[in-house]
Amino acid sequence: MNQMIRDYQQTAMRYIDSLHEAGGDRLTGRRQAAARRFAELGFPHTRTEAWRYTGIEGLMQRGFELTERDEAFPRHAVMRRFLREPTAARLVFVDGRYQADLSDTGLAGVRVGSLREAVAVGDRQVLEAVGSLSGLGDHGFAALNLATLQDGAVIRVSAGVTVQQPIELLHLAGKGAAGRAMRPRHLVMLEADASANLVERYLALDGETAYFNNLVCEITLAERASLVHQRIQQESAQAYHLCDIHLGLQGKAHYQGINAAVGGVWSRTRIHCRFTDPGAGCELDGLYLAGEGQLTDFHLDVDHAAPHCDSRENFKGILHGGGKAVFDGLIQVREQAQKSNAHLSNANLMLSRRAEVDTKPQLQIYADDVQCSHGASVGRLDEQAMFYLRSRGFDKGQARRLLCLGFANEIVERFQSAPLREQLSEVIGQRLEE
Amino acid sequence: MLSIKHLSAGVDGKAILKGIDLEVRAGEVHAVMGPNGSGKSTLAHILAGRDGYTVTDGEVRYMGRDLLGMEIEERARQGVFLAMQYPVELPGVNNMTFLRESMNAIRKSRGEEEMDAVSFMKLVREKARQVKLDEKLLKRSVNTGFSGGEKKRNEILQMAVLEPFLAILDETDSGLDIDALRNVADGVNRLRSPHRAMIVVTHYQRLLDYLEPDHVHVLAGGRIVRSGGKELALELEAKGYGWLLEEVAA
Repeated sequence: MNQMIRDYQQTAMRYIDSLHEAGGDRLTGRRQAAARRFAELGFPHTRTEAWRYTGIEGLMQRGFELTERDEAFPRHAVMRRFLREPTAARLVFVDGRYQADLSDTGLAGVRVGSLREAVAVGDRQVLEAVGSLSGLGDHGFAALNLATLQDGAVIRVSAGVTVQQPIELLHLAGKGAAGRAMRPRHLVMLEADASANLVERYLALDGETAYFNNLVCEITLAERASLVHQRIQQESAQAYHLCDIHLGLQGKAHYQGINAAVGGVWSRTRIHCRFTDPGAGCELDGLYLAGEGQLTDFHLDVDHAAPHCDSRENFKGILHGGGKAVFDGLIQVREQAQKSNAHLSNANLMLSRRAEVDTKPQLQIYADDVQCSHGASVGRLDEQAMFYLRSRGFDKGQARRLLCLGFANEIVERFQSAPLREQLSEVIGQRLEE
Repeated sequence: MLSIKHLSAGVDGKAILKGIDLEVRAGEVHAVMGPNGSGKSTLAHILAGRDGYTVTDGEVRYMGRDLLGMEIEERARQGVFLAMQYPVELPGVNNMTFLRESMNAIRKSRGEEEMDAVSFMKLVREKARQVKLDEKLLKRSVNTGFSGGEKKRNEILQMAVLEPFLAILDETDSGLDIDALRNVADGVNRLRSPHRAMIVVTHYQRLLDYLEPDHVHVLAGGRIVRSGGKELALELEAKGYGWLLEEVAA
């Protein structure tokens, strides 16, 4: 174990001790185990296949701190970023801290609140759920998240309840986040036959603050439950964003995740779904946009370990300037997973010669009665289309903007919330007309 | 309005146009006919500013300005419109949005006010009815999954909305059945005006049954080998291009 790992572990241990001294924390044992796991794993490096194209040097050099600070922030600026549509509940985190007075705990059948509070009051369901899907962590950052986790959202929907309006989970980073590593963990639990729509966004109050969001999200859907999960990562231009999402889908449960990653200097999202019961479905759509100095990475890991499950993944990326993207989509279909449907597609639009994408769609099939497909493409703007648009009066920038919006539209349209579609189209339009 | 003088151009060192002279005045409709490979589409493309052609000689003046020195979008903003032989599909780009932004880009460049959404919708619906384009296609992506006839009608719709001064129709009749041909021709006829000129590039005479040209030019081997009135088109229809090419060769 090298000195740096030892330092990080000791810092984590001190943090755990400080919680203990402050009156105890019902997760102490798990935190300590995760800190030990971290010491075994160390930080990921590019010699590991899953991190081959995603270096962490910049992140390590920054050396974000575990400290907690409670800095004032402009409330109106937070409220201005609320989702512009009626919501069933709202959870607001600013600089990693839960803001009860800006949150709204919602309607009957929906229970939302802060993870820290749930742990403090000894909520058994929550205590059991922490780490139930993620384990102690399969890479160093995930282990550190558990060892030093601060807070997060707990969202529960009771059996048979259908929540039409979105549940909003809003994260904002302001000046108080500067130089800090935040470690949120979210738990989403839908009981049998429940259905809900979750809008999760990471936004910056200040466009240039540097911070690290190291988060983990565990989502459990009981039998026949259904979740639409709309996610937008639009962190500050200097932010690092790392997110692991673990999905536990029971029989006939359905998860639909729509993702957009447009912000941050470095961001990586991993979505892990393991089918252990028949008849479940997982749909993942994603859009990423990376420009000068930005890296964006999506790792999808779908494991068909039960028969009759469906998975579909469609990710699209636009790379401009010196932007860099990594896409790694793995689908495994195990021997027992007969009658699986699994389809994976990744398309990339390169607007500059300096842009780079490493795409790796993979299918590993051990069952014989399945329908699977996968494909990836990397292309440039169609010259004929550019000519067509310019011959209709659009200048090059406008033509490029329109074609990129057209390319992205397939994913943007998957977002069910109109304000999110507008927000994304606006971001794409602004970024690409420059 | 348009004055082409000794225009010679080619692709990758291969000469395609070898000294074209053509004068088009406001209010006139010129048909440019000719066999395959004669350079008709090249001429249309060069006028619209398509990349990939090298002009080796001559000049083109449009409303007194050097057309060849203008960017593609600048030509469009100054009123040049090319209805394409193969309209491009733009997946994900809404047809109505495309039309509105196109019109507003042109209006803005002329210092005119952008048209508001309601008036624009009304205008487009009206024009779509005229060219018999199914209104549903306005809500779809530009040309995506359109039939050949629908694509051509969509081109004519754009022309009707953008109201160019110089409209160039590049084989707009190719691949159309007789009804579509008639709709397209009606759409074009409706746009005839003393302020507008048109160049209709076609292989066949049949479009000219509906669109009476003032002048007919036959392009062969990169040159205009004959010019005449509409009766020239009829002669070509009856006798084909062969006799003319032989006569020119002799």
